[in-house]
Amino acid sequence: MNEFNDNVAPKTETFVLNMGPQHPSTHGVLRVELDLDGEKVIRVRPIMGYLHRGIEKLLESRTYAQGSPFTDRLDYVSSMNNNYGYCHAVEELCGIEPPPRANYIRAIVAELNRITSHMVFIGSLANDLGAVTGMIYTFRDREEVLDIFDLVCGARQTYNYIRIGGVAQDIPQGFEEKVRKFLDRVPEFMEEYADLLNGNEIFNVRLKEVSVMTKEEALACNMTGPNLRATGVPFDVRKVDGYGAYPEFDFDVPVGENGDNWDRYQVRYKEILESAKIVRQALDGMPEGDFMAKVPKVLKPPKGEIFSRTEGTRGELGFYIVSDGTTKPYRVHIRRPSFISMQGLNPMCRGGLIGDAIAAFASIDPLMGEVDC
Amino acid sequence: MFGKGLLTGMRVTIGHVFGKKVTFCYPEEKLEMTERFRGGHLTMDYKKCIGCQLCAMACPNKALTLKATQDAMKKRHLTSYVHEMGRCLYCNLCVEACPTKTLAWDKNYAISSWHREDMNHQVLTDDDMKYLEKAMEDAKVAAAKKAEADAAKKAEEAAKAANDGGGAAN
Repeated sequence: MNEFNDNVAPKTETFVLNMGPQHPSTHGVLRVELDLDGEKVIRVRPIMGYLHRGIEKLLESRTYAQGSPFTDRLDYVSSMNNNYGYCHAVEELCGIEPPPRANYIRAIVAELNRITSHMVFIGSLANDLGAVTGMIYTFRDREEVLDIFDLVCGARQTYNYIRIGGVAQDIPQGFEEKVRKFLDRVPEFMEEYADLLNGNEIFNVRLKEVSVMTKEEALACNMTGPNLRATGVPFDVRKVDGYGAYPEFDFDVPVGENGDNWDRYQVRYKEILESAKIVRQALDGMPEGDFMAKVPKVLKPPKGEIFSRTEGTRGELGFYIVSDGTTKPYRVHIRRPSFISMQGLNPMCRGGLIGDAIAAFASIDPLMGEVDC
Repeated sequence: MFGKGLLTGMRVTIGHVFGKKVTFCYPEEKLEMTERFRGGHLTMDYKKCIGCQLCAMACPNKALTLKATQDAMKKRHLTSYVHEMGRCLYCNLCVEACPTKTLAWDKNYAISSWHREDMNHQVLTDDDMKYLEKAMEDAKVAAAKKAEADAAKKAEEAAKAANDGGGAAN
């Protein structure tokens, strides 16, 4: 008589592994609880809150103009886009129309910031997959744009440049030259990244057909931005809403096919080229005029509420502001794209190997400052 | 061929071994900060400041503390201007709020300190304090002169009124 039932495979106990909060590939402080069956991932649970600073509440205790420096600290690798989102929302609430020159300057700085943000993505993706050299290359080129921002607004990371009604200062002398010089270099270094990474066999094996996310899953998770576009949905707020000066520019929205890690990487890679296209058009068609609309010194928006969205680098960045007619907002809620994209971690990693969880996490490109807010 | 992509990548990195350097040795060579650079300590031209507190009101984090006094001529002078760098966001709102455009950044980026107290930076210098003392003295003198002049004027007016009154009585 057989003591053991041969039909049942030997079972192992599931094992809970805490990845983080101080893990080099969590891009900040995030704890990910991984339920493991051997090397297989059964469930992923991101646990956040380690970088919570209460920015929504801080905004409620400041006047509208004082709020914009805090939005820099949400998604600190693309502060311009956060400034843009906040100021766009307040402008819609107050009915302020920024002058056309301001819209063009905003488009230039926001797209340059998108380029740097995607460069950080490519660099950190390479870093997380073990190619530490890849990070250095993208950071070298990002430096050029940061120097341009330093020239424009005097800061390299927390810009506070886009203000309610326009931009803080007009573009300085020598700005256009520097930007054009950078734009001429874009194809050159993009080719270098391609040589460095795209053909790399290890890179390909780690990314292609790994952590696939279908269109339906992505939509169910409410994902936006490059993560959604990688699954094949051409949704881009710049195209859909056409805010600011974006309707005047000719650009494509790159989409992926499979929704795997490779597509998420490629969508961002192509977006850098599209952003460069937008910046070039904006420089060519830059109108003369004011860079700031007439905004009262003490801003008191009428009673009401607004939800306004812009395309941040990581997806749809929404600001929900309730005004009670005083100088301070009654309630501010920020729809942070990274936070919502984190929901996709579980469907992506389930059934995969533990090593692929790292790759999936890096390919979502979350930023802890924005996740915890 | 498997490994072709790896070799292409290697070629890129080897090309940079012999390429131009993109970094430089920091303490020996220093970058010049841009014109709009925000960072370091706040500086001001003491003579221009009118003590209006607009910078402190514009600050989102209450990082600026101003103390002012009035001289004998009723003009405001600062006695203390503390910039709490630990609270500062370097957002430039105070500099933009200044009506006399006297606030500026000193563009010093090496501002780390050993102690927390060192982060409370007194913007006013010793020279400013000397200027304040002198201004207070000058104001006292000016006020005394003015009072004298006013008294003389009053006396003159009184005399004139008395004369006129005398004339009317006649």
